[in-house]
Amino acid sequence: MVLKLYGSGNSTCTRRVGAFLREKKIPFELVEVNLAQGEHKSPAYLEKQPFGQIPYIDDDGYILYESRAICRYLEEKFPNQGPKLIPTELKAKGLFEQAASVELNNFDPYANKAVFEKVFKPYLGLTPDQATFDKHIADLGARLDAYEVILSKQKYVAGNEYTLADLFHLPYGWLLAAGGSNILSDESRPNVVRWWKDITSRDAWVAVKDGVVKSNA
Amino acid sequence: MVLKLYGSPFSTCSKRVATVLHEKQVPFELIVIDLAKHEQKSAAFREKQPFGQIPYLDDDGFIVYESRAICRYIAMKYADQGTKLIPTDLKGLAIFEQALSVEQAHFNPSAEGAISENIYKPFFGKAPDPTVFEAHLKKLDEKLDIYELILSKQKYLAGDELTLVDLFHIPFGYSLPTAGSDIMNSKPHVAAWFKALVDRPSWQAIKDNIHSTA
Repeated sequence: MVLKLYGSGNSTCTRRVGAFLREKKIPFELVEVNLAQGEHKSPAYLEKQPFGQIPYIDDDGYILYESRAICRYLEEKFPNQGPKLIPTELKAKGLFEQAASVELNNFDPYANKAVFEKVFKPYLGLTPDQATFDKHIADLGARLDAYEVILSKQKYVAGNEYTLADLFHLPYGWLLAAGGSNILSDESRPNVVRWWKDITSRDAWVAVKDGVVKSNA
Repeated sequence: MVLKLYGSPFSTCSKRVATVLHEKQVPFELIVIDLAKHEQKSAAFREKQPFGQIPYLDDDGFIVYESRAICRYIAMKYADQGTKLIPTDLKGLAIFEQALSVEQAHFNPSAEGAISENIYKPFFGKAPDPTVFEAHLKKLDEKLDIYELILSKQKYLAGDELTLVDLFHIPFGYSLPTAGSDIMNSKPHVAAWFKALVDRPSWQAIKDNIHSTA
């Protein structure tokens, strides 16, 4: 049975999984969850994803949620298909985990909240606050200073190979510009700019950046 | 060379690593970073940890930072000794990753937020805001309702065996009463699960103060 990705073609976290599926050339069907009608909060949906969020996958009856966990599971399941996105050697893997943790603690909290403020709030009929957005961007900037140092010594966040840790940054990083911030193109951090251009030009991201559609891979 | 953990005897994230070192029976030396003197923001420290945060691990010259990454590295390197903390079968590993993602996305922001408001802020001479604290607790309560559901069906967060993900919750969860909330005791399955974690010798050994074991 083909893998089913339950989510919304335009959602950030669905795109995170979509980009990964494209990298690994894994065929999948996108099952659109009707967010406007609150489908993700219905009892039937909560049976599968108790936090009432998208996406989740159905792998021939096996259900998994949390976009980063979904990517990690599928990488384990298809280690020899497409690029290797998690290293296997102990020290390289340690550095991968370090970079993945940095994304969650030093990038996502600020990028996520900035995007919510300026991009999602209007969509939800709420009023964005520019000062709040600016603060999140400033906080992100302080972390990107450390990224600049790291990326001056290596090509990607976990080392010299592209990994899931780089991919995880794509969905929210991409929407910062829509919110009005060009922080990832700020030439005062040339290595961040170089890295961001590199990872956003990958075919797999280009294929999903405007929305995820089903793929026969 | 014995493992060196650069951190603070009282810091939550240093304790996260110390618990795992104890579970895996790995001797280590704690090198205390002087937070009062902002040693973690010094140029020398940032050479090792560019974000200027504690802890980091020095394994015979190999440096790793981010407490959860350090824990994963230790659990992988010493897979054959102490408590098994990472599943090896594909589906068990996937549920483990799902639970880890839930800890960081759903538990940590509210738990850490609440502790930051009522414990860290006063420590730095700032007045805590009760509205902010209550907002964090309200969110945490909603998430713990889901934890209650999950833990009513299985013993631990990733299945019926203890894994790293359960241990990751201890440092901030343990400080919530000091911050003014008994939330970890408020739902029966969550309470039983958390008590079992806190009673483990690995947490008891370091809960007040981390000591070098090598």
